[in-house]
Amino acid sequence: MNLNLLMVEDDAPLAAMLSDELQRYDHQVTVVGDGGDALLELARHRYDAVILDRMLPKMDGISVLERLRREQATVPIIMLSALARAPEKVEGLEAGADDYIVKPVTVEELNARLHAVLRGRRWNNAGAPSDTIEVAGLVISPARFRVWRDGKPILLPKVEFKLLAELARNAETVLTRAMLLERVWGYDFIPTTNIVDVYIRRLRIKLTEDGSEDPVVTVRGVGYMLSA
Amino acid sequence: MRLPAPRSLKALTLLFLCFFMFATIATGLTGYIATRASIAQLVDKRITGESDELAGRDGDAPIPVIAARIASEARARDSADLGMVLTDGAGRVVAGNITLRRALPLGYSSVADADGIIGLTHGRALVRTVGGGGHRLTVIGETEPIDNYNAARARLYLLGFGSIVLIVMGGLIGFMVIVSRRAADIRRTVDAIVAGDMARRVPTDGSGSEFDQQALAFNRMLDRIAELMAGLRNVSNDIAHDLRTPLARLRGQLVALARAAEGKEPALSDAAGQAVAQADEILAMFAAMLRIAEVQGGDRRAGFGRLDLAELARDVGATMAAVAADDGDVLTTADRPPMWIEGDRQLLSQALINLIENALRHTPPGAHIHVDVAAAGEGRVALSVTDNGPGIPADQHELALRRFGRLAKDRGSSGHGLGLPLVAAVTRLHAGTLVLEDAAPGLRALLVLPVCGA
Repeated sequence: MNLNLLMVEDDAPLAAMLSDELQRYDHQVTVVGDGGDALLELARHRYDAVILDRMLPKMDGISVLERLRREQATVPIIMLSALARAPEKVEGLEAGADDYIVKPVTVEELNARLHAVLRGRRWNNAGAPSDTIEVAGLVISPARFRVWRDGKPILLPKVEFKLLAELARNAETVLTRAMLLERVWGYDFIPTTNIVDVYIRRLRIKLTEDGSEDPVVTVRGVGYMLSA
Repeated sequence: MRLPAPRSLKALTLLFLCFFMFATIATGLTGYIATRASIAQLVDKRITGESDELAGRDGDAPIPVIAARIASEARARDSADLGMVLTDGAGRVVAGNITLRRALPLGYSSVADADGIIGLTHGRALVRTVGGGGHRLTVIGETEPIDNYNAARARLYLLGFGSIVLIVMGGLIGFMVIVSRRAADIRRTVDAIVAGDMARRVPTDGSGSEFDQQALAFNRMLDRIAELMAGLRNVSNDIAHDLRTPLARLRGQLVALARAAEGKEPALSDAAGQAVAQADEILAMFAAMLRIAEVQGGDRRAGFGRLDLAELARDVGATMAAVAADDGDVLTTADRPPMWIEGDRQLLSQALINLIENALRHTPPGAHIHVDVAAAGEGRVALSVTDNGPGIPADQHELALRRFGRLAKDRGSSGHGLGLPLVAAVTRLHAGTLVLEDAAPGLRALLVLPVCGA
């Protein structure tokens, strides 16, 4: 999936590097250095997603976000920031960011998050009438903490279930370890012992117990994905 | 053999006190003896004069004359305090105003209470032969202006010099206490700083005394060191920051390489994959460094909120139980009622994970690790991680704790060695203390935090 991206970043070398790297993933990237320019650019062209720096010289990222959301703009926005504290994250998300990434970010992480955000959008746009997710032969009910394969329930402990639900919600999209730690455990740090790998292993055992094929794909250097 | 020079405050004070006492006693004693000798001399002179007056310079006055003179002198105002006796060759008293219990020797001698002379406690006597025919004239003078003057004088000396010694001793002890208290203040500050509390300063009282000025100078030095350290920290943070971006790019290229080679050149793909893992380790180290710097900077306080420590322990414990099981260890968490504290959920979770990781790392497979939350008295609550591994000998707990505060290499095991410094930083940020205890067997690490004010 190649995307048309708008990057709002006043740090020119960083912007050049990130856009370079994103182009390796076949995305088209337009870079602007200020919030005002970003609003003009968004009024003129259609973008698939915006990568928005929080601290900008004139109009800062939060103001841009609030303006766009007031104007009912639905474009997905990922906020980049050097500020890592929880209240700042909450502020960014409340202002309307789809995701909040603390700098510096690897391009794999950024790409994975872009895909996850877009994927989430499509899912939302489809209306998602039922509260269950059907993927890879699994029927998952996040509300009821239950999962079935061919009508038979698979018993999963709470954490493994949350992990599966997160992967299922983003099926066919790679989720990085940082994303999984954030969404399943609520951690904004990466512990030395790889908790995610341990739980993926446990989840795989549960999902393949009945001889079924492993639906969890390891994407080297990036993270994990549930193949549909 | 040479004795070592005394260096401790106590030894110096004692030595000084000894010299001072010796000098005081010597002065007192010399004064006492000298006074006694000069009094004896004066009295001797007086009795000699009296004796001469009674019997003439050569003692050749006739006996009846001497007897008559004794009788009159004994009544006279300026000689009535003297004792005078004239005895004949057989020792019979011819004239006199006193009686002698013993025969005194010829020449000068001392008399005392024991001689039974009424009204005399100490005195001098002069005995000489007079008038030929074996007569003897004895003249006795008191050496004491009042009865028991010597005892009174000794008392006076004791009182005077004794109080001087006491005053000096009191002063010295006071001085010693003040000096050692100030020294202890500095020592405590240094200990706290060594333990990682860089904000600690020597207490000052604003009196401008030498001690106060010294404390202020010491504090200025600490401020300067803190400034330099902050500068250093900023430099290393900047380096960590600046290195992360190119490192992230390098990682990206390695990922692309690994992916391109996948399936076609497995060896290259594996090597690139390992290089990615190594890049991730370095990135994790930088992340930990920046995290510690962020925590030490105190900015995270802004993100403090009310949280249930028991719940946090249960959540982290449950997650880490799977990690422990993977290593063949058992991790259990006590189910405790809510314990509310003011803190940063993320940082405390990370600190607890680091403590558990540390326990996993330093115990052999099959170990049992237990996470618990318990009231620790005085409005404090302790989050503990106990293992049944080899533990740390009690006398090395202090050392181990100090190591928490700096970048110690974890004795040849996995991890970047920044886990425990982060725990120490998080503990400090929460105004808590980190304690190590012997769990017999094993080690218990306690993170003691203040509970939420009501």
